[in-house]
Amino acid sequence: MGSTKQAPQSDFTLLENVLSEYAGIPGSLIAILQKAQDIYGYLPRDVMHHIAGRIGVPPAEVVGVATFYSQFRLTPIGKYLIMSCQGTACHVNASERVSAAVASYLNIKHGETTEDGLFTLEHVACLGCCSLAPVIMINGEAYGNLTPESAIAVLKDIQAKEAAK
Amino acid sequence: MRIVLGEGSCGIAAGAGKLRNALEALITEQDSFTLGSTGCIGMCFLEPIVDLYEGRMLKRRLVRVSPDDAPAILEAVRTGDLSLVDSITISAEDEEFLTKQTRIALRHCGLIDPTSLDDYRESDGYQALKKVLTSMTPEEVIEEIKISGLAGRGGAGFPTWFKWNAARQSAGENKYLICNADEGDPGAFMDRAVIESDPHSLIEGMLIGAYAIGASEMIVYVRAEYPLAIVHLEEAIRQAKEANLLGEHILGTDFSCDMRIKAGAGAFVCGEETALIESLEGKRGMPRLKPPFPAQRGYMDEPSNINNVETFANVAWILNNGGAAFAAMGTENSKGTKVFALTGKIRKGGLVEIPMGKTLRDVIYGIGGGIRGDKKFKAVQMGGPSGGCIPQSLLDTVIDYKALAATGAIMGSGGMVVMDEDTCMVGMAKFFLDFTALESCGKCVHCRIGTKRMQEILTRIVEGEGKDGDIELLEELCTAVKDGALCGLGQTAPNPVLTTIRYFRDEYEAHIYDKKCPTKECPALRAYSIDADKCRGCTLCARNCPAKAISGEVKKPHTIDPALCIRCDQCRSACRFDAIIIE
Amino acid sequence: MEKIKITVDGKEMFGEAGETILTIAARNGVEIPNLCYNKNLKLYGACGVCVVEAENSPKLLRACSALAADGMVIHTDSPKAKNARRVALELIMSDHEGDCKGPCSLHCPAHTDVQGYLKQIALGNDREAVRIIKEKIPIPASIGRVCPHPCEHDCRRQMVEEPLSIAYLKAFAADRDLESDTPYTAEAAPATGKKVAVIGGGPAGLSAAYYLRLAGHTVTIYDAMPEMGGMLRYGIPEYRLPKAILAKEVAAIAALGVTMKNGVKLGRDITLGQLRAENDAVLLALGAWKSSTIGCPGEELDGVIGGIDFLREVNMGNIPDIGKNVAVVGGGNTAMDACRTAIRCGAENVYVIYRRTRAEAPAEDIEITEAIEEGVTFKFLTNPAEIIGENGKVTAVKLQIMELGEPDASGRRSPVPVEGKFEILPVDTMIAAIGQRLDPVGLDGITLSRKGTLIADEKNCLTELDGVFAAGDATNRGASIAIDAIAEGDLAAKAINAYLSGLPIDFFEPYYSKKEVTPEMFADREKIARAEMSVKDPAYRRGNFESVINGFTEEQARSEAKRCLECGCHDYHDCKLIRYADSEPICPERFEGPKHECFTEQRLEVIERDQGKCILCNLCVRVCREEVGKGLLGLVGRGFKTVIRPEFADSDAMAGCGDCRRCAELCPTGALKILK
Repeated sequence: MGSTKQAPQSDFTLLENVLSEYAGIPGSLIAILQKAQDIYGYLPRDVMHHIAGRIGVPPAEVVGVATFYSQFRLTPIGKYLIMSCQGTACHVNASERVSAAVASYLNIKHGETTEDGLFTLEHVACLGCCSLAPVIMINGEAYGNLTPESAIAVLKDIQAKEAAK
Repeated sequence: MRIVLGEGSCGIAAGAGKLRNALEALITEQDSFTLGSTGCIGMCFLEPIVDLYEGRMLKRRLVRVSPDDAPAILEAVRTGDLSLVDSITISAEDEEFLTKQTRIALRHCGLIDPTSLDDYRESDGYQALKKVLTSMTPEEVIEEIKISGLAGRGGAGFPTWFKWNAARQSAGENKYLICNADEGDPGAFMDRAVIESDPHSLIEGMLIGAYAIGASEMIVYVRAEYPLAIVHLEEAIRQAKEANLLGEHILGTDFSCDMRIKAGAGAFVCGEETALIESLEGKRGMPRLKPPFPAQRGYMDEPSNINNVETFANVAWILNNGGAAFAAMGTENSKGTKVFALTGKIRKGGLVEIPMGKTLRDVIYGIGGGIRGDKKFKAVQMGGPSGGCIPQSLLDTVIDYKALAATGAIMGSGGMVVMDEDTCMVGMAKFFLDFTALESCGKCVHCRIGTKRMQEILTRIVEGEGKDGDIELLEELCTAVKDGALCGLGQTAPNPVLTTIRYFRDEYEAHIYDKKCPTKECPALRAYSIDADKCRGCTLCARNCPAKAISGEVKKPHTIDPALCIRCDQCRSACRFDAIIIE
Repeated sequence: MEKIKITVDGKEMFGEAGETILTIAARNGVEIPNLCYNKNLKLYGACGVCVVEAENSPKLLRACSALAADGMVIHTDSPKAKNARRVALELIMSDHEGDCKGPCSLHCPAHTDVQGYLKQIALGNDREAVRIIKEKIPIPASIGRVCPHPCEHDCRRQMVEEPLSIAYLKAFAADRDLESDTPYTAEAAPATGKKVAVIGGGPAGLSAAYYLRLAGHTVTIYDAMPEMGGMLRYGIPEYRLPKAILAKEVAAIAALGVTMKNGVKLGRDITLGQLRAENDAVLLALGAWKSSTIGCPGEELDGVIGGIDFLREVNMGNIPDIGKNVAVVGGGNTAMDACRTAIRCGAENVYVIYRRTRAEAPAEDIEITEAIEEGVTFKFLTNPAEIIGENGKVTAVKLQIMELGEPDASGRRSPVPVEGKFEILPVDTMIAAIGQRLDPVGLDGITLSRKGTLIADEKNCLTELDGVFAAGDATNRGASIAIDAIAEGDLAAKAINAYLSGLPIDFFEPYYSKKEVTPEMFADREKIARAEMSVKDPAYRRGNFESVINGFTEEQARSEAKRCLECGCHDYHDCKLIRYADSEPICPERFEGPKHECFTEQRLEVIERDQGKCILCNLCVRVCREEVGKGLLGLVGRGFKTVIRPEFADSDAMAGCGDCRRCAELCPTGALKILK
């Protein structure tokens, strides 16, 4: 039935403010899930069930919504989320070489997280920075006009910064 | 003097943030000038951009500015000697990128501070709203929009007044005015630019629409990938509420209307209006059957009207200048201006707003400066995944809903991706089908399985596994999906395939029958070898080859073992002597 | 309410404003195909098969949701609508993982519902089993004994241990039914007043006559021989098929009202023209009664006879004098019948001369085994080079010794002579059982194929002559096994019935969804050996024509039938998807590609879901949410990867499901199955 019995139980108290903010407002499921993901970094199964119980929506519907939108993640992600733009302009400007270089440098595939938990690589729909194609966005910051080399340089900077901590 | 940084998403992606840091670090307490911010002017190819203002007067526009330029800029501003920044001042030719445009929807973009209500007000902001609320009936507003000929800028081109009128006529407890800011077409970013750079014009346009249809609430559905747009719009809504431009008794009239933002969660299909409504209701964004239409039963089963950002961005201008002024521009059936996001293999990429009736050539060559490098133009992709590829022979097609539809492409939301001779059109079709197959909501059979099967057939063609009859099979499948899919996404998904087959059938045939990609872009169909005359034996290629397919002695020509070659192209990128040949 | 008038497929009908096209059409007896529609649930619009074309509308309409407007002219089958619907069905099928029918049924030429009747036998309902069998085979007791059972060849039980003994189970059920006080009899439809003449009372003719009679036509079978049954009566030896059993089954057909005229030969007693003139249709089911010749010197000698001629004589009770030494040429089932019959006729040394080895012999292996048990000597890799005689009477045969050469196009290694190696075998009788063909008497004016067979359209058995059909051994590829003739007889009956009703008679092979299976899928099955048929002692068998097999005991039969893995879909007969998919030829193979995630899950041990068969019509999800008010099921994922999966809280798993079974009731395919 797909339940994650072994996973440690999530701390639902973190979600109280969100649940009371949206209490009684119909159609708030997506907004609640977004906030829940901000809190937990992803959507643990028990959190989805907890939300379902609290807002009176069947768990099947909550999971249905969570698995429909690409923004929602059902597994934890790394500290840095690399979003590799798959837009047309990026494609025309050889973005696949950039994302291939990133993937091979980090030794992960699209949708995976590095073993040290630092990076998660995701392919995303157009980021709307088409004139600077190819583009990647790392934790909300866009990097444009990339080459495989310059993209790896960005990652090395982050790694160096993290190592210094 | 004021220093104003272009800090739209593209500006930031191009390094505006670092530039701001550099400038701020050098500004001292003695300095009397301010460091301002503006949105996206649309000259993305020149980012980061810094404007130097004297009052309202633009004195200099500095382009491709790097943090290293900061001292010179500050020195120029402090001394008033602008010749110090001559080297980074925009060229006369590049200025034409803007001067050749007619800006209505983008009228404030890059000129005002998007986080400042005062800036917007000083540029005629909220004048139209005041006029509407104090001197016009809703019917008069709808009539003015009808006169303007404004049509939906999201893609379908449906007359705006008609939708407003239908929603107005529809009986309901509450009515909703919804802005579709789920700009999902890859290659389109005009809506992002408007919200980031001029959020109040969206609010004003929406308020006028809400008044016209009698809506009590306005919702903006913004895609999640636009965080900056959400921040600016949130701020603008807060300001507008404070200034009594939103909420109860707006500007002291009887008109009350609230506004909120709903962030999307990543689903292209939510750009389809009924899917958008489902998503607003917190559900999976799967399109509904029509009828009933949203104007009858939309959000929360109440009458709802949905327009896109660019449509609303035109509204205040129309009310200020009159519908006739808007209708004076354009063609018989397409009025006003249209914004295009010009990208791809173009010299000058960015946002272009021009009157309807101009030609594609005007945009691509007249404003965009033609193809980057010394390559030849091949096609322009219009309308994103729902649109099509228009070949060289049709470059003089005028920008007009009907004329563009006749080519097999569509006006769409305005994405214009330019392709040169190196772009494989079969690969392009596959790219779009990869996208639509991934973004299909999965509800209807034709789209869920049909786009998947189209993508599979295209994949086997670009991989050299195409079979005799595949083109005809694609055509038949495309026709059935067009006819049978539930919503616009599925109904238009075949367009990129059909137009590339229509205009570039020879490329399909080359892939299928000759197992060759004419542009050499499809990796599976490439054969790499080394030109012995050019090779100097530097070993760089061999060292870069991940498959160890290259061998040879130092200072002697190298060779590639085709059995080992994985066609990754790394040798060609590494070679400094152009010795790697693709056949 | 405002009354409106619309036209659907040329039929005018009335409805009320606000009604959908589908609703009005349905009320007026026009079924517009649909898979995701249910009148009690909210409109959904997923399946895309209800698309129709309205005149003056550029876009197709979904009939389930499109509101009818006064004056609308709707075509449900316009080329555009049909194309969109057909492609939708092809796309669904290309993403459908499940077996409509098991391999047994698919490989049976008559597509008998094997799984269906095995289930009834397992349950002890022999009569019901016979009813199911007789939908395809009118003479199951006979066929169950003689059929080489292609059904068993791909039986998936082999992936566990051995195939089911399907043919004998069929004979078992049919025997029990025949012996019962009230044998099963199908009911004929009311008389149509149409007359059909069937020439030939063999399996093809009997089968066609049976189904034509059931359709209400007046049927007469004309047969040249004294009794009905054709090759089953005169070719198959008594020890394999006791004639009393065949006679009972023939009598049952006669009892339905089929007129049977024996001793009437085409070209001698009747002519085709005459029959055609007197009947609304004629079926030629003539069989292949002429033995093929060996093609070596000496064939004209006395004592050289054809295999089927020999068998016919014996079956008519005329035991010929064949002497002590008999050689039978050939490696097929007729050769086996001939050699074993020769033993029973008192020959001391019976040889089978076959130019390849046992592995290549087309005869059933059990037949070879039983022949050897009965004392037949097999001379593999030999071929008659010359038949030697004295005074016009055969005395010996000179055999060329053969060896196997390179495989030919069919993959079989072809025999080649070993130069100069011969063997002389003294024989009194040579029986040539190497093939049989049509004896084209009374067929003047009909073009025969190069093989000397009647040319009949494989889609509908129609010959070049209007109203004249042909089926069985006499046609196309020539002689084959009885079940092929039965199947062709059934097809001919369907075609004739359509012809007589003025309907199109272009039949096509229905589409069957098929699933890839591997032995691993059956790893958890308990191994149960195939039921062994008890047979009489070989020494005893040699001396008489009694049935070799003794038949299954009831206990054997019931437990054997229970071994069935039930590979076919439980919902085949009620499945809306396959019904639409079969309404015109479809070819989902052209869209072949990866399928969505397939898995099964069970709930409360009451309902089993098979995601492979799910078409995402979402009816189960919707009924659970909208009607039952529980919302236990939900769509998971997006696009092609979407599946339906229940989402239950850990502790009270499934407690929410009230066992109402509405989901399974509404499922248009076999994705949801009620287990008990």
